[in-house]
Amino acid sequence: MVKGALFKKSLRDMQKSKSQFISIFIMATLAVFIMTGLDSIWYTVDKHADAMYESTNLSDLWITVMNPSEQQLWGVSRIDGVDLVEKRFTIDADTDLPGDPVLHVYALDDRSTLDQPELEEGMFRKGGGGVVLDSKFAEVHKLKLGDYISIKINGKWLRLQVDGLALSSEHVFAVKNSASITPNPSEYGFAIVSTGALESAYGQKVYNQISVKTTSDIDSAQVVQKAGEVVGDEMIGITLQKDSSSVSSVNSRIQQFKTLSVVFPMLFLLVTALITQSTMTRMIENQRSQIGILKALGYSKHSILWHYTSYGIIVGVLGSIFGLLTGPNIFGRIMVLQLNLTLNSYSLKINYGHFLFVLILILMCTGGVSFSACRKLLSDTPAVLLRDKPPKKGQHIFLEAIPSLWQKMKFSSKLIARNIVKNKGRLIMSTIGVMGCTSVIISALTVRTTLSGISDYTYGTTFIFDEKVVLDTTKTNSRYLKNLELDGITQQIEESALQVIFPDGSHKMEPVSITTGESPLVHLQDIDGNPVALPENGILMTRKLCSERDLNKDDVIQIKLTDKGYVSVPIVEIAYIASGQGIYMTDTYWESLGETFKPTALMIKWNGEPDQKFLNNDIVEDSATRESMQDSLSSSVGVVNFAVILLIILGSSLAFVVLYNTGILNFVERTRDLATLRVLGFHHSEIKYLVLIENYLSVFLGILAGIPVGRFISWIIASSIDERLDLLGNINLRDVLIAGVMTMFFAWIVNRIIADKMKEIDIFEALKSVE
Amino acid sequence: MGFITFENVEREYHIGESIIKAVDGINFNISRGTFNVVLGQSGAGKTTLLNLLGGMDSPTSGKIVVNGKEISGMSEYKLTEYRRTQIGFVFQFYNLVPNLTALENVQLAEEICCDPLDARDMLRRVGLENRMDNFPSQLSGGEQQRVSIARALAKNPQIVLCDEPTGALDSETGRKVLRLIRTVSNDLGKTVIVVTHNAPISEMANVVLHMRDGKIDKVQFNEHPKDVEEIVW
Repeated sequence: MVKGALFKKSLRDMQKSKSQFISIFIMATLAVFIMTGLDSIWYTVDKHADAMYESTNLSDLWITVMNPSEQQLWGVSRIDGVDLVEKRFTIDADTDLPGDPVLHVYALDDRSTLDQPELEEGMFRKGGGGVVLDSKFAEVHKLKLGDYISIKINGKWLRLQVDGLALSSEHVFAVKNSASITPNPSEYGFAIVSTGALESAYGQKVYNQISVKTTSDIDSAQVVQKAGEVVGDEMIGITLQKDSSSVSSVNSRIQQFKTLSVVFPMLFLLVTALITQSTMTRMIENQRSQIGILKALGYSKHSILWHYTSYGIIVGVLGSIFGLLTGPNIFGRIMVLQLNLTLNSYSLKINYGHFLFVLILILMCTGGVSFSACRKLLSDTPAVLLRDKPPKKGQHIFLEAIPSLWQKMKFSSKLIARNIVKNKGRLIMSTIGVMGCTSVIISALTVRTTLSGISDYTYGTTFIFDEKVVLDTTKTNSRYLKNLELDGITQQIEESALQVIFPDGSHKMEPVSITTGESPLVHLQDIDGNPVALPENGILMTRKLCSERDLNKDDVIQIKLTDKGYVSVPIVEIAYIASGQGIYMTDTYWESLGETFKPTALMIKWNGEPDQKFLNNDIVEDSATRESMQDSLSSSVGVVNFAVILLIILGSSLAFVVLYNTGILNFVERTRDLATLRVLGFHHSEIKYLVLIENYLSVFLGILAGIPVGRFISWIIASSIDERLDLLGNINLRDVLIAGVMTMFFAWIVNRIIADKMKEIDIFEALKSVE
Repeated sequence: MGFITFENVEREYHIGESIIKAVDGINFNISRGTFNVVLGQSGAGKTTLLNLLGGMDSPTSGKIVVNGKEISGMSEYKLTEYRRTQIGFVFQFYNLVPNLTALENVQLAEEICCDPLDARDMLRRVGLENRMDNFPSQLSGGEQQRVSIARALAKNPQIVLCDEPTGALDSETGRKVLRLIRTVSNDLGKTVIVVTHNAPISEMANVVLHMRDGKIDKVQFNEHPKDVEEIVW
């Protein structure tokens, strides 16, 4: 580093201005803490998920088709880029466990190599009659190896012995249906069996999916298109690995944290640069004559420049290292577990490449800023530097152009106004810090409010049934349901998924809901809250799906019909639905396309008590009250509370550090003036305001600026939080007020601390000579 | 009893283990409207005396009475009130607020006093009517000290305390400043106390308090104080 004596000088200088250097250190630490913390979260998830996809040999796409023929399989395997083709069977099955949890069953062939379980205990006996069970599900339901579990398939109960406990690449993040936001192993899990184990339920081996592994370099869109042609009209749909429910959820988490790891550290980097700027500029001005002495002694320009740059570098490097040590370990380690992902390992992975990148940024914000602050003075000759500092200049300011206003102002207001104009940089710095604080708190609160608002919107505005009954489709049909004569209002709905070709040529399976045109229990609205009716001459698409696919009203998409080819349908309406993105259409329109309306669920609004006799009817597979669905939706929001608290702590640290710094600088620089005023008979409380009003002004401006920035951050978070939810991220007055009051509270605390420090002003300072 | 009375005033400072008596049992009286000089070498205790009289410090023991009120033992708040209403202060290094113009520096006094004098008038009296809107950095040392005097007097105080008012000025300018202090305070009937180590200045005082080692060595009454012009230093 620098020569011994100069190095000692830097350490002593830092000791002298320790609160500023500690602030730079804290900001640099926080920037790296947040950046590496957030970065390690997605990086860890990404690495472990990829490793699991690799080790379980996860398919690249699945073609859903009932009992695929050998010809179809052969056809698919001949497609360019297809490496391996297997067939399997998947279905949701009820269990006999308490709480009626559902298992998603995968039946694999004896020689299968794709989509294997990631075994944790026991083994997968291919061709045997046992089951490999979701280990988290087993844990919650206290099932061990060797225990038996009964599942209901095709109306028949099968009793299977647990041979193994495992994880699945398709269940890293798996939710039961669109009504659940977070995985809940007590109600949903997976089971992997041999196709032979299900023979007793169907009387033969059955398959409904072709699993396809492609070579890595192939364009999957081409494979999808060709597979569609090969399989023909019998195809129900094709799901790419990245579109499958678990993989896409995991990827959206990764994306979300990637975004956050860019947005949040920016604020902290900016504040780091500003604090360094104000600290180093002041220090170098104060050391003007020392620089002169060093130059006179013969130190080269180069070494003096490096000396002052090293202040920033030392603090920046220390902060970065400390941030790197703490960020991933504290922030990352906790958050990875909060994500509710089921991975085979959570051991933390750190993206050192990104760390190096942020280190360079930090060094630019600390070292670079110090360098530029020092460079200005170096061009002067030692003689000039050793001469007395030019006296501090007063300056006329723009307010004086309005004499009527200026003359009415008290001297204290004039003093404050001039001081603010003189130290604009500092005001900007503290305003940005406060803005960061307010905006981070606003976004944290907004995300929380929007998430909890989803359940109210979904089950208060969109769906207003009392009970939703899942039907056994083999035992009922639309006409039967119409003649049920239940005491209440009912509405039939068919929920499934359709293969869709979008105008851009991409193929994807999208959820579809078909219901009656007269819709007493489903009230769709547009984004402004105006009611939207299901069209009779086309489909309705949710706003989020439209914006993802860049679709507008009157655009045309193609949907795959059962055992037929594709048909073009126009998007006639667009509606805002918070939870449950997809395509909506009426039963009459669906039937006009040549299909049959086969309701899978019945929504009921009872006039009086629920009809227990009906609920116990054979055709009822499952039923859930609106309250229970609403509860499960809102309970998952609890997870974000942790993040909210964390963000508030981070945000407030921004406000604390900048306000403390500007406050302290503001009075340390003017100790002599303030002491003079004390001698002249000003009370402590009057002097205090000369310094603190500036802080209050930056708090005021910062809060104002924080509102739009908070709106922007909320919007980024809301749009990336979950692809199945359409979160608007609109800020509301209550959250803004809370954030404002919190920010003011933090500011008040800091100002009290500074006011206390100001009591230490030595009145005799005024009598001493000018340094 | 005089306008200002010191009775057995002591002020001790604890520096580490040792105790230093900066002011060691002082007694004196000063009458209203007089021009007084406290004279002594550095370390004689004159600044401590000034601090005690100016209400910036309290004696360890003894009694200080100003204008019929005892100020020794007053609370911090009361002392501030005392400084605010009774004392005008002229500093060695002027101590003008750099961010305020000359006029505004004087006006600041208006804000804290119950009966202030007009700031423009005061600046006119010290001969700065043309420099009112200048900032301290645009004024010479003598001009700054004149603003400082105007500021001290604009508060309309009973007592004007001057701490080495000529210390940072050349002798010609110093002379002008001293005359100004004398004439303006005479016109307004103020009691002036100038602290200095500059012996010739004492010749212009009504009363000279000679200080040495924290004690008053000698009190000298000048029947006919000299005019500033007659003094040579």
